[in-house]
Amino acid sequence: MEHKNSIGRSKIGGVLVIIFLTLLSLIVLYPLVYVVTAAFTPGRGIATLPIIPFTNGATLDHFVQLFTDTNYPIWFRNTFQVAVVTSMGTLIISALGAYTLSRFRFALKKSFMLAILVLQVFPSVIGMIAIFVILLRFGLWDNLWGLTLVYLAGNAPFNIWLLKSYLDTIPRSLDEAARVDGASHFRTFLTIVMPTAKPMIVFVLLTSFTMPWMDFILPRLILRSPDNITLAIGLFNFITERRNDFTLFAAGAILIAIPFIIFFILTQKTLVTSLGAGAVKE
Amino acid sequence: MKTATKDVKSLGPNGYPSAPFRGSRRVTLLFSLLFMGLGHIVIFKQYIRGAMYALCQVIFLLFLPTIVNNLIGIVTLGFPQPDLHILERDNSMFMLMDGVLTLAFLGLFIGAYVLSVKSALKLHRQYETTGLMPAKRGVLEQMGTGAFPVISLLPATVLILFFILVPLIFSASVAFTNYSMPHNIPPGNTVDWVGFDNFRAIFGGDAAWTGALGRVVLWTLAWASLATLTCYAGGFILAVILKNANFKIGKIFRPILILPYAIPAIVSFLVWQNMLNGAFGVVNRTLIELGLITQGIPWLTDLWLARFMVVAINLWAGFPYFMLLTTGAMTAISKDVLEAARIDGASQMQMTRRITLPLVLYQTLPLIIMSFTHNINNFGVIFFLSGGNPAMPDTVATGAGGTDILISWIFNLTINFQHYHYAAVLATTVFVALAPFAIFNFMRTKSFKEGEL
Repeated sequence: MEHKNSIGRSKIGGVLVIIFLTLLSLIVLYPLVYVVTAAFTPGRGIATLPIIPFTNGATLDHFVQLFTDTNYPIWFRNTFQVAVVTSMGTLIISALGAYTLSRFRFALKKSFMLAILVLQVFPSVIGMIAIFVILLRFGLWDNLWGLTLVYLAGNAPFNIWLLKSYLDTIPRSLDEAARVDGASHFRTFLTIVMPTAKPMIVFVLLTSFTMPWMDFILPRLILRSPDNITLAIGLFNFITERRNDFTLFAAGAILIAIPFIIFFILTQKTLVTSLGAGAVKE
Repeated sequence: MKTATKDVKSLGPNGYPSAPFRGSRRVTLLFSLLFMGLGHIVIFKQYIRGAMYALCQVIFLLFLPTIVNNLIGIVTLGFPQPDLHILERDNSMFMLMDGVLTLAFLGLFIGAYVLSVKSALKLHRQYETTGLMPAKRGVLEQMGTGAFPVISLLPATVLILFFILVPLIFSASVAFTNYSMPHNIPPGNTVDWVGFDNFRAIFGGDAAWTGALGRVVLWTLAWASLATLTCYAGGFILAVILKNANFKIGKIFRPILILPYAIPAIVSFLVWQNMLNGAFGVVNRTLIELGLITQGIPWLTDLWLARFMVVAINLWAGFPYFMLLTTGAMTAISKDVLEAARIDGASQMQMTRRITLPLVLYQTLPLIIMSFTHNINNFGVIFFLSGGNPAMPDTVATGAGGTDILISWIFNLTINFQHYHYAAVLATTVFVALAPFAIFNFMRTKSFKEGEL
């Protein structure tokens, strides 16, 4: 009797859960449906968008326009360049630093570790004025390399810390054996320690590659000329007070969001576990 | 043993180095202090190491005029020269930057100096205890090993120094100047030191600015707490529902529900901003069309509604992250515990509240703290969604809107208002307020606790 009752209740519960989840999914999908609609709907601003999706006809004009009338390909190339260099550079810089911090004892090590941990907390906005002046001073303002350098510096503390925590869990006996066999520090680092840290390396590469695509503050501060800006700035400029090309924005955003989504679905498990593990391990 | 004695013999008469140096720590100290590396060269005959230290000193002496010049520059910040061409006038900000860079350089030099003296004293101690001169051979080898940590940390150190540390010192310095529109923007005009004037103005001196600061700080804290709490609670509840739901249901809904996390934040917030537009946004037009309302709802232009919407849209974007995270943490809970509770007659609700929640909370606590600090600095939501609006009575003067948090206010003051001095005061305040948390975090880490450092 009791058993039956509980099944009955869970059936009602099950229906409620499905209704709840369906409503939630609708809310989640709501804005996404409109971006897709906007990207294929003729017209420019958000005001021209139909309330019911896809009822104003469909067109590919906005995608064509992106590649013929705007600097979209240039923005893409700029962002891609910055992302690749940032991601490779971050890995090299932080892996070397993390290995040294994990395996060596030297003067000022404690101060160095405290410094990177404290500095990691602060967003680059805090030093915004200074970054502007320092890049101007070195002739790197309005320059993609200037932006890349700032990204590399900003990424270094967190990623060094993350990798160092991970390397600490890899037994020292492994690299000590290699050292005894006569391998140099660099060789040991490259052929013994790095391969064991593969999951973290993938994580560092991925996060530092995706970050420049959507970062706004630094490119807005550092890049000025139309040929130098990155995607985020270019897309944002479509929908300022002076301009309202929401449909064009939607088309450009979709082209970026789709690879992001595919990429995310493929890597989400690794990403979340790595992030969780990295933060908890400390 | 014999070879060792021979080695020592070659260093001076009577098997010892020149008599006056024997045993005299003071002489070693004196030589090392006099000129970097001198102690290494004269007393211990370590020519290579000594030469490298000496090189540091030579470089320092060569640049001494520039160093002094830059230090004078940072004190005066230049003088107005209205008769000169605009590009030939003193540029106060470049002078300040050069001064800060010089100070950083001086710091490095002093560090090297201390290291050289320490190293000489260490050699001396070795000499005193063993009675032998440190072997010359092996110095190069030792440097080969010693060089790896230095070289491997060099890129990170240089980058952090130039693009994080120097900017922080520079920002802190700007807080004590009058660098702002319209009268003190180089290269046309110079900037002057004003002491604590800016701090006084913001912390009580100027009613508009003090009021704006109070409002922004309170909202920043409220926003960060609400944003973290809602996303965590939302993510946790969904994780529980999906876990208890039938397998098929989970398979259908899970991929839909994590979508917001996969979409770049700037895209989703800008889309929401357009959809919530009061006049022609899709949301209002739909509601009017359905006959639910007759006039557009001011989603992002009414103060409290805008604040609510910012938190709500952030929940839309942020719950999937915690959903994934808590799902992961839940799978780690031992089945036996839950089974035991079920046999004891605990209901689903009780089990969730008394077992799952505490265990998951404990596991994810560091990530909640991380998420809180992230939200304090969460520029994107505010800037793209509400743009800091709606305007408040003091917004024209201070640039701080009703939904502005500290970070978006600093951005606004820098980029749009060019009130660099006040932006720097705020930045310095954020730095001073957050630093203890960072240090606390450091003390909590495993490597620090275990005394490994």
